Amino acid sequence: MSLPQIPGLRDARPDSGPVITVQHLVKRYGDFYAVNDVSFSIREGEIFGIIGPNGAGKTTTVECISGLRVPDSGTINIHGLSPHRDRNRITEFLGVQLQQSSMPPRLRVGEAVKLFASFYPNPFDPDGLLETLGIKNLKNSVYKKLSGGEKQRLSIALALVGNPKIAILDELTTGLDPEARRETWALIESIRDRGVTVILVTHFMDEAERLCDRLALINHSKLVVLDTPEAIAGQLGGSKIRFVPSKSVDDKTLYAIPGVREIERKELYITVSGTGDLAASVIDSLAKIGVHVSSIEAKGGSLDDAFVKLTKDDRYRAQERLQP
Amino acid sequence: MTSSKQDGSKDGGFQGHFAELLKVEGKLALREPTGLAMATGAPIIFLVVFGLIGIVSPGPVANTGYTVLDLYVPVIMVMIFIFLGIASLPVTMVKYREMGWLRRFSVTPVPPSRLLAAQLIVNLALAGVAVLIVIFGSELIFGATLHVSILYFVLSLVTSIAVIFSLGLVVAAIAPSQSTTTVLTGGLTFLLLFLSGLWLPPSTIGGLLATIMYYSPSGASVQALLYSVFNVTPPFTAIITMVVYAMVFTFIAIRYFRWE
Repeated sequence: MSLPQIPGLRDARPDSGPVITVQHLVKRYGDFYAVNDVSFSIREGEIFGIIGPNGAGKTTTVECISGLRVPDSGTINIHGLSPHRDRNRITEFLGVQLQQSSMPPRLRVGEAVKLFASFYPNPFDPDGLLETLGIKNLKNSVYKKLSGGEKQRLSIALALVGNPKIAILDELTTGLDPEARRETWALIESIRDRGVTVILVTHFMDEAERLCDRLALINHSKLVVLDTPEAIAGQLGGSKIRFVPSKSVDDKTLYAIPGVREIERKELYITVSGTGDLAASVIDSLAKIGVHVSSIEAKGGSLDDAFVKLTKDDRYRAQERLQP
Repeated sequence: MTSSKQDGSKDGGFQGHFAELLKVEGKLALREPTGLAMATGAPIIFLVVFGLIGIVSPGPVANTGYTVLDLYVPVIMVMIFIFLGIASLPVTMVKYREMGWLRRFSVTPVPPSRLLAAQLIVNLALAGVAVLIVIFGSELIFGATLHVSILYFVLSLVTSIAVIFSLGLVVAAIAPSQSTTTVLTGGLTFLLLFLSGLWLPPSTIGGLLATIMYYSPSGASVQALLYSVFNVTPPFTAIITMVVYAMVFTFIAIRYFRWE
């Protein structure tokens, strides 16, 4: 199966140029390729999602962008600067929320945010930010007494307090309860509405679908697909249509229609599942042989299905993919 | 979303963030009972112990003209430097590294080295407080007869602190994990305390072991301080020994320090 790799084809904000360009990024640990020839560009003001299974290379990719790791080859360009060489300038407008990172146990929430605010030239007001994140009441609580969700919110606060132009958020809502997740999503949207470009690393499909303008799926160190969540879900998530044909159609004819994968029959109804723009494809093809369809019901593909499919298909080729 | 602080740039400079960092690290040090206990508790306890020895058996130690407390003042000071510089500072730094606190700094405009600088200053301040407690406590409460020569005393203090703290930074640099650090600092603390002459002063041992003690980081520190609290020029061998150690340790610490 050939997978679409169409960087920048669909874009939520076509007038804005790229703020981050990643070209042929390679990061190795010994013989293991953590990231292998990944290229994409991120537009100003979009929420760019990076999804993929655990160990796929998502975190390594954003660590290279945030300057924590030096790529073995390839280039990263952020507003014309290199994350490694121009570190001092980039850290001023880049907010990074790290995965798995804790703080001194006796540090108070208010102290942490105030401290990090002092690092930046034009920071947010610490109190206001804590209020937005719903942890203002915890200002005097020490870190070790916080719950998992509260720690996560503090971590987000530290990433955003510098009033960044670009925010990199790794595993943003892991460990948050459903309500806190929704509040955090709303926060991320409000940040985007202020013109901040957001890079979101996640393995939650609902989060990616809800927040991201575009998604890059990374699997086995490679970029597998890059498109809008709707396009990925539609093309690869496997949609379904159910209809009643005007006269009987055999399975062979149905399987010949582009995109059709499976057929189910129940009384007069035929349910076809497959990929791509299935409904149009089925209606067109049947019309050509003089079959009309009625009582059509279509169900769009889900991003979840697309994700499982992409990563599963890939597993069979894991051997081949691990090689550079 | 909250509004951005417009006058933020005024307090965003180096002084602004470093003052904030010092304040936070200072508060954390005071909230951490062990560091504070080492800085103020340990000197008080040892003053009382050696002061009581002086009360139980008053008069100068044989052939020296000084009391037990007089002779142990430098050892108490060096012991405090060992507690702070070897047993406390590296453990904190390795903890910070392991929990990703240093890593978090490395994605901000403030490099993690500033955190190390703040830690050093906080520990030096604690050492300063401890030295004052020892000096005034021994003189005013237990009547030790010190004739501190300020110049030599400051020189000896600075070199002693430099050698012991830089050795602590070597541990912080090379220890791979918190558990290794605990083992390493524990062993090193014990070894340095022995070499400083806490249990057996080198003069009572003699021979090769005494020579090793004289030229060890803690032994040389005690020697230099011992001379300066009695207004005598400290031996240059002790000062030079410490300076060489401090340079070598600092080089190793800088060369191998990892921020994550």
